[in-house]
Amino acid sequence: MKEITKYGWIAYITARSHIAYAGEVFTRIVLMTVILYVFSRVWLAVYGVNSGPRLAGLTITQMIWYLVATEAFALSGPRTWYEVEQDVRTGRVAVQLIHPLSYGLTHLGKAMGERIVRFAIYMLAGVVIALAIAGPLRWTASGLAMFLAILPLAFLLDFLGHFLVGLCAFWLESVNGLALIYTRATMLLGGLILPMEMYPAALQPTLRRLPFASMVYAPGRMFVDPSGAVFFKAFWTQAAALIVFLCIVGAVQAAAFKRVFSNGG
Amino acid sequence: MFRTGLDYMGLVVAYTRANIRAQMEYPGAFLSQVIAMIINDGAWVMFWVFFFSRFRVLHGWGLPDVISLWSVTAAGFGIANAIMGNSLQLAPLIIQGELDVWLSHPRAVLPHMLLGRSVPSAWGDAVFGYAAYVFFVRPDLARMVLFIILTFGTALVFVGLGILAGSLSFFIGNASSLADEWRNAVVMFSTYPPALFQGAVKWLLFSVIPAGFVSYMPVEALRSLSLMYASGALLGALGILAVSAAVFHCGLRRYESGNLISFNG
Repeated sequence: MKEITKYGWIAYITARSHIAYAGEVFTRIVLMTVILYVFSRVWLAVYGVNSGPRLAGLTITQMIWYLVATEAFALSGPRTWYEVEQDVRTGRVAVQLIHPLSYGLTHLGKAMGERIVRFAIYMLAGVVIALAIAGPLRWTASGLAMFLAILPLAFLLDFLGHFLVGLCAFWLESVNGLALIYTRATMLLGGLILPMEMYPAALQPTLRRLPFASMVYAPGRMFVDPSGAVFFKAFWTQAAALIVFLCIVGAVQAAAFKRVFSNGG
Repeated sequence: MFRTGLDYMGLVVAYTRANIRAQMEYPGAFLSQVIAMIINDGAWVMFWVFFFSRFRVLHGWGLPDVISLWSVTAAGFGIANAIMGNSLQLAPLIIQGELDVWLSHPRAVLPHMLLGRSVPSAWGDAVFGYAAYVFFVRPDLARMVLFIILTFGTALVFVGLGILAGSLSFFIGNASSLADEWRNAVVMFSTYPPALFQGAVKWLLFSVIPAGFVSYMPVEALRSLSLMYASGALLGALGILAVSAAVFHCGLRRYESGNLISFNG
């Protein structure tokens, strides 16, 4: 319990520090506004020429609210990979390893503190913009509960992805490129802009089995059109992906830490 | 005048060569960033391929037109930041008082400062822009020549925009985030069909967010092989560059040295 509290405090302090800068909050709101405006124009054009009121089972209002949830998830991703890369490049990692804290859990605490604040800011901005563009969405208590239940694991999986990319800095000169590829994989394979149902039919079964869809598409779908079947499928995918990610991260971290040499000074 | 122009071309070549040599000191990092950027841009093209496999036309724009938007924008952004990468770094350079090193040069401050850095990933953007245009659009010789000329015009818009956005720091203090979001907004609008935007937004796209000169006019010139649109795009680019140079020099009077000793290499 004491251990959890320790990392909880790290998350809390990081969250506080991300609320402190009003300028940063403002630029996030501007970014969300631009993105939602552009995508809403795309979908309004598409729905305008479509024969029916629904595409992929979603109305135009639901589609815009879907974008609010998925974009908030994508934009709120913390730059854990950069932090780890800097730890490795500057040698800070050697100092951190002698602290009475787990290296991975410390980064998890920081990432979650940052993520929760940023996600909340993007969601709040998104809600205001979506209300202005598309009007209100009808939520149900069970739908919101499923949305909130699926988010923590999605955040955790995304953290592990970023952390894994960062650990590659022990072998690579720069992990910038890997981070970019990971982010784009999340966007393209996760259903950030296009819900899964809009992908070519042949690709859909594969994409739904990957963890990306359970991180991006599933929360988005739960937010606008909750379904027990999609929830449980996504939940089990998340659970399986979590086990796989934890094993990979554990193995890579162990191999990486063997490469740490301390020469004093 | 002609002689001065040739001198500056020589300067561009010399700086670019030196920057490439510096990047190639870490070939792994350089190549990984180039390849990652190509994959990143490719992911967006894949998104549009999926999109147009479902919806054939978007307000009169098909896949080759949108690929042209992407190609012109990516190639222009890539050329700008591969050759004049410091246009992305101007805001931090001003805030940290690091312009001193450029002020001590015996020639114009702005070109030297801009040429002082090359962004590795920008080479990936440039390669992707040209490759995508050749492979997806399959242009004839006239269009290819026009494409090459117009991408350099687009590069001038991005350089001008970088100077303008960065120069905000002379007037309002730390404008790094604002400058980033401004550039992101321009890139975002530049890669979506202009037919989606109406009214006041259309005016914005030829002024504050000059996406009109980045991609809309160049792509219209390429679609209809119109010299009028091509001239409009190039004149717009030169206009933005002239305004940005004037704003930079106006702001430079307010610059305060950081008293830092630094070397370029």
